[in-house]
Order: sequence, then structure tokens, then C-alpha cells
Amino acid sequence: MNVIIAGFGFIGRKLVRTFHKKIDLIKNVDSKFKIIGVSDSKGYLYDLNGLDLKKLSSVKRLSEYSEEYKEGRSTEEMIEKGEANLMIEVTPTNVNDGEPGLSFMKAALKKGIHVVTSNKGPLVVAFRELTSLAKRNDCFLLYEGTVAGAIPIFSLIKRCLQGDTIRRIMGILNGTTNYILSRMYFEGTSFELALKEARERGLTERDPSYDVDGIDAACKAVILANALMNRNVKFKDVKRTGIRRVTQEAISLAKKSKFAIKLVSMIDKRIEVSPKLVPINHPLCVHSTLNAIHIETDLAREITLIGRGAGEETVSAVLNDVLTVIKETASSV
Amino acid sequence: MKFDLTIALADRPGQLIKALKPIAKYGGNIISIIHERENPSDGFVPVSLVVDFPSKWNLQKTISDLRNMGITIIRAEEIVDTSRIIAILVGKANLKDIIQRGIKNAKIIGFEVSDPVSEDACLKLEIEVPTRLLDETLENLRRMAESEGSLIILPI
Repeated sequence: MNVIIAGFGFIGRKLVRTFHKKIDLIKNVDSKFKIIGVSDSKGYLYDLNGLDLKKLSSVKRLSEYSEEYKEGRSTEEMIEKGEANLMIEVTPTNVNDGEPGLSFMKAALKKGIHVVTSNKGPLVVAFRELTSLAKRNDCFLLYEGTVAGAIPIFSLIKRCLQGDTIRRIMGILNGTTNYILSRMYFEGTSFELALKEARERGLTERDPSYDVDGIDAACKAVILANALMNRNVKFKDVKRTGIRRVTQEAISLAKKSKFAIKLVSMIDKRIEVSPKLVPINHPLCVHSTLNAIHIETDLAREITLIGRGAGEETVSAVLNDVLTVIKETASSV
Repeated sequence: MKFDLTIALADRPGQLIKALKPIAKYGGNIISIIHERENPSDGFVPVSLVVDFPSKWNLQKTISDLRNMGITIIRAEEIVDTSRIIAILVGKANLKDIIQRGIKNAKIIGFEVSDPVSEDACLKLEIEVPTRLLDETLENLRRMAESEGSLIILPI
């Protein structure tokens, strides 16, 4: 399989290193697996014989790899060549218009190129459009890494709970706010101090409102609702309240009654992201940067998944999606 | 609708089966029955039943028939299934308003206020509400908090 990677930021670089480290495992599944192109916002590297993963793993910028680095429309040009079978889209998230990832995904799917992504933006903006496009072009569009990082929520439900109807999903889907609320709960710190700590530890986005105002959690709720509950909702449909007004006093009062306050994404009849009282012995009550998803179905009843929600662990989800595409396409040939 | 129906039966054979007839006649479904034969008082035995009747009318007709049969009714009360919830409000919170608008039909079991004079005053309410009115009560609380510009934190 010929693979191109759109995006060489934190996840893109980590992904290349993981491919290098796990190449024997991948080659066991597909002996012809190679990364033929990688792009960043300014240009791209391309070699139909496959890029040198060891060398690529050691560079911070694509331009450091070789003089072959071409400046230009990068991702679009890689797609237009029509030699790739799979595009891994890991450009920065933009929840306003989904760009540039949305255009890259559309272009790839129209060319019959499978897409694996950890980029929420395009799926929040155009979930139905992208999934229909993938179906029309007989392509895989897998996005396990978009919600709760390494937690295999989509794979679990689509593979293991095919006959179940999902009645409700509740999730702690943002590690940064969970870290802040956990510091307030355990250490008695104020919201401002806990936010400062989170920033110093590099846990927040440049604009912390993305986390603390529930924007990130709302995006994930939109994807979960559309992908798993057959809804057709947009970001504006989410009733959203962040954690800025959660005070230390509120947390102390909750604690006395054996509750913790958590930013919970709730998807049932309504879609809501808001601070909620979670009983401390409930499986959803996880702390620090952990994520948790609690699903309620008609047959299996309740299932809770807990895991790491963001950062380098996302690579686990992307790699699994890549291996799924390789295996499924090989078996359908 | 479930009712707690406690009657006093004469401590003689065949009394219980006689008393059950009107219950069946008016569509009552007996959920439990406790026949305290070891505690007769003045020749009478208390029998406690939990009966599901289609409506209050069916209960009243049953009671009337039982009385006509000379059976004493000790207690006949609807069993209301209640839920307890905790809500935390941050910001302006007027307790009188909450009781009148937010949680009518609910009982306040307890409340605690923290930092009452600040803009971020915090009020924890523990309330008991008939389960069938739970969603409505939560919605009322949400709406009230929204109109006051307060943050409401409810259980999952």
C-alpha cells in the first residue's frame, strides 16, 4: 500500500517514528507498505519507491530530509499524482471551516484514496458529506483518533456491538479540563491556578477557551452522535457550558456529598456539554488527564472505556485504522 | 398507580379470600401481601397489601365494597416513587424563587450555602421529587438558573 501523510506536526512526526519502529509488524500485514509522501503547510517530500523512515524519523522539519523537498501546494499535488492508496490526514484542527483538512479529504476520497485521520475539524463541519463521499467512491474513512485519543470507541461499537442500539453516551472527552477539575478536587486549588498549571505543563491549546469553554468536548460529541447514533448534528446543535464558573466552593460542596464535578459530554435526546456531578464511585469518574466514555445500549446495557485521550497516544488509534484499511482492502481484492 | 392498602380482618378462616374479591373486581393487581396472623388484636388481624390499581377511582370503589363487607380500612395511601437529587448553583440564587418556580412538587431535604455574599455564591440543594416529575423538575431548575445567569451543576 502506498501511503501519504498530510501534516508533519506533533502527531505527524510521532506517526512516522511509530511506522519506523513497527515496520516489521506492518510489513507482515502488507509487504508492499511504504510511505511515498509527506507534506507540511509549505511543501512536501515524495518518492514513489518509499521514503526512508529512519531518516524521516530523525528530522523535525521536512526540509531537513533532503533537497528533494518541494515547495508548493504540497498535499493537493501528492493527491493529484494519483499514486497513493491511503492518505493519513493529521493537519491542525480547525473547527470553524474544517480547513485545510476538509479539502484534502474531499480531494483524496474523490480520487478513490482511503482516508485515516485524527483531525476533528473536517468531521465536525462535514460529517455526512465526507461519509457519503467515501461510500460513493468505495473508500474507507476511518477516524478513531478524533475522539478520546487511544480509546477504541468507534472500532468497538462498529465491530463488537453491531446489533446493539446506542441509547446514551456520556463521556469525559477533554483531558485538559479533567486535569484542571482534578487539581481543584484533590489539591483545593482555584480554577485560575489549575489552568495556569495546565498551561505550564503544555496541556492546553494556545487559546485555552478551546478546552475550558467546552469547544473541544462539543466537537467530539458531534462526531460521536453522527457516527454512532445516526444523527445529523452540527456544532451549533450542542448546548455548551464550560468550566470557567466552576468554583472551588462548588467542588468542595460536591465532594461532601461524594460527587466530583466533571465536564461531561452527554448525548441522548439532547446533546450537551456541561459541568456535571459525577458520583465518585461511578466508572466515569476518572481523574487527571484521563478520558472515559460510558455507553448505554439496549442489549449490552452499560460499558465504560477509560484511557488516554490526547497527545502521542492518538498514534495508536491512527496506526490501528491504517492496519484496518490494509487488511480490509487486501481481503476484498 | 401503586397503593398501600392495610385492612383489618376478623381472625376466622376464609376472611382473606373474601377481602381479595373486590380488589380483583376493580382491576387491582396485588404486588405484595403481608398477613400478620401472629399479631391479632381484639380478634382482628392486620393485612398489608401493595396493590397496583388502574386509577384512584378503582381504589375508592374497592374501599367502598370492603367497608360494605364490614372490613375496616386501616390505611389507603398512594405509594409515590421518589428520587433524591443534588444540584449545585453558582451565582445568584434566590431560595424562595427556587422553591416556588424551580422545584414545586419537590421537598427540600437539605441545603448548604458557601460564600453567600460573593458573585459566585454557591448553593447546594438536596431535594426529593416524585420520580415521574424528575425530568420536569430538572428542566425547571435549568431554566431558572439560565434566567438568573447562574451556573447549575446537576448529576449525570
